[in-house]
Amino acid sequence: MAATEIAFEHVSHTYHPPRGKPVLALDRVSLAVREREFMALLGPSGCGKSTLLYLLGGFLPVEEGRITVGRSPVAGPGPDRGIVFQNFALFPWKTVRQNVLYGLEKQNLSRAERERRAQEFIDLVHLDGFEHSYPSQLSGGMKQRVAIARTLAIDPEILLMDEPFGALDAQTRGLMHEELLSIMERAPKTVVFVTHDVREAVYLADRVAVMSARPGRIKEIVETGHVGRPSPEIVKSRDFIDKVDYLWNSVRQEALLAQSERSGAW
Amino acid sequence: MKKIFLRSVLIVALIVAWETAARVHVVSPFLLPAFSTVLRRLYTETVSLQLPVGLGLSIYRSLVGFALAAVLGVAIGILIARVNSARWFFDPLVSIGMPMPKIAFLPIFVLWFGVFDESKILMVAFSSVFPVIVAAWAGTENVERLLLWSARSLGASDRGLLWEVALPAAFPQIMTGLQVALPIAMVTDIVAEMAMGGQGLGGDMMQAMRFADSPGVFAGILAIAIAGSALVKAMELIRRRLLVWHAEAEHA
Amino acid sequence: MKPVVRYAPLLLLALLWEVVPRAHLIDPRSLPPLSAVAVAWWDLVTSGDLWTNGISSLVNLSAGLLLGVLIGAALGILMAWYGMLDDVVHPLVRALYPMPKSALIPVMILWLGLGAASKIASIFMGCLLPAVLSAYNGARGVDRVLIWSALAAGATRRAVLWEVILPAAMPEILAGIRTALALSFILMVASEFLIGQTGMGYLISFRGESGAYDSMFAGVLTVSAVGFLADRAYLWAMQRALIWRE
Repeated sequence: MAATEIAFEHVSHTYHPPRGKPVLALDRVSLAVREREFMALLGPSGCGKSTLLYLLGGFLPVEEGRITVGRSPVAGPGPDRGIVFQNFALFPWKTVRQNVLYGLEKQNLSRAERERRAQEFIDLVHLDGFEHSYPSQLSGGMKQRVAIARTLAIDPEILLMDEPFGALDAQTRGLMHEELLSIMERAPKTVVFVTHDVREAVYLADRVAVMSARPGRIKEIVETGHVGRPSPEIVKSRDFIDKVDYLWNSVRQEALLAQSERSGAW
Repeated sequence: MKKIFLRSVLIVALIVAWETAARVHVVSPFLLPAFSTVLRRLYTETVSLQLPVGLGLSIYRSLVGFALAAVLGVAIGILIARVNSARWFFDPLVSIGMPMPKIAFLPIFVLWFGVFDESKILMVAFSSVFPVIVAAWAGTENVERLLLWSARSLGASDRGLLWEVALPAAFPQIMTGLQVALPIAMVTDIVAEMAMGGQGLGGDMMQAMRFADSPGVFAGILAIAIAGSALVKAMELIRRRLLVWHAEAEHA
Repeated sequence: MKPVVRYAPLLLLALLWEVVPRAHLIDPRSLPPLSAVAVAWWDLVTSGDLWTNGISSLVNLSAGLLLGVLIGAALGILMAWYGMLDDVVHPLVRALYPMPKSALIPVMILWLGLGAASKIASIFMGCLLPAVLSAYNGARGVDRVLIWSALAAGATRRAVLWEVILPAAMPEILAGIRTALALSFILMVASEFLIGQTGMGYLISFRGESGAYDSMFAGVLTVSAVGFLADRAYLWAMQRALIWRE
């Protein structure tokens, strides 16, 4: 079992839009994620939290700084870091079953083992019965579950989630939170979870890293103090509410900064 | 269902109007032969096998040229999207080629390939290939990057990305390009046949015209119209079948 | 990208066109070297053949295109405006659309004889439907709110047509004209192949039949170049006219 602690060391990233000046998206971000930790990245829009995730995922090249997973530097995407996107990114021409099988087919498994695992994860996300449906026939929540099943099926050691529940309505989001926590209970992984929803971050994560407005830096890191799986009741506790308030204000400060920067640029 | 009914009613009404106008001699029967006369001509030509042979030849040439254009066009389009030197080379050619009246090249094709099927088929291919290239290029280039990223993170190789993700994702657009190219193929073939003569719907029509045989000319037009509609409709059905996952999305 | 850089591959092709026939890699009777074609082109210019035929082509093209576009656009807008007309005409238009208009050239010859009239009529037929459909779609797509605002402000129905619907439908109409432009070139060449007498299509096929292949190639290149340039020029003008569009 490979070590899965993640380290960002002085990572900077610049975007070069086709027209216009280069934009510094991340400014010497340093962050450590412990093994099996659930780390939430919180921040206003445009702060670079998704960019940080994409760099970790290997989708963008690391030009300045270092990102290591278990001491080895990241060098491109791979099945050790599974990713779930906000817009699901399901292959629309494949059925649910075919989507989930996709990653499994790249591994050295027998046909029977592949099918078994695919079914296992489809069942896990409660989509049994929909194996032969196309993504266009599914609701948002169902699509997101397929995306999660597809990623988990290849058993990545690290799970990257980019605002995975952002496109869902509040009810579905709540259900997905519980499903995600159940999955984590069964097979714990190191998770880096990007969101702009403060309550979601505090509920799900072990630690919450707040990012500043662009260019993104780590402003502060807050421990949520969960021991084991949080129960839904916890959202009513004094401690939870205080933490949410605190973080909300922290993020809000950054959001206001970002806004004034934009209007200043006029 | 209602639409189909309305459309049929309209077509029937038009035919009735046509027949009446012709019978009443609104214009001379030379200029506008009666619908019944034209139908009768279609019948005799079918029995004498002139129509089936001509129709068969025209469709054969159109479809072979179209198939050539489809294969070449998709291959070149994908190549342009993926290989920079191919893009450098083909971009101006495609950009200039699209708005050019490619039918002007017909005499060149005749010079190079003679007066039989080959020149017509190649002329058809030349005319139809451009929309296919453009569609395949655009479709492959514009694949959603999150799909490619997901595939990579699930373990796809570089080759896998092309064949397993990019091409299926580009397929709807490629299909549209093919649907645009098909009518172009048919038109080009008809014009080539009219210009070069010989057997085929185009040649037959020009022949009829030379003999001032207006029912023959109108019969040709009717045959072309029906054949053209049938092929276009067939293409739509194929699209719906192959893109069943996409069709769902379009209605969702 | 600078046009020089973008069109550089064409220079490469031009070079190949010169070298390959000269080196007899291809029979120079089938593919005269580019320089020979250039010389033939110049001869066409100085002898006046290019002008005579070129002007004939352009006149017929312009007439057919103008008629087709004006009548087509008017018809399309009327169809959108008067619902009743739409119900009758629209299915007819949709049914006729896939029909290749070049197939109507023999009918035009029957009706109008071998001459400019049948060429113009053929071009007209080709340009009509794209203009009708684009004007129809453009007019239909006009935001109802715009129309109601104008009516509420006291505009007459006719004023609404000219001052609201027409301008709002313009982008779509102009796009349809671009399609009609391309089709007009095709029908011009096709009708000149078949009707002959004069015009660039006639020039190309006549020279071809006489074995003067370098003139034939010169003619083909000229028509292609004009077709391409016409499209580019139209595109430029269209973008200037639509500058108010986001």
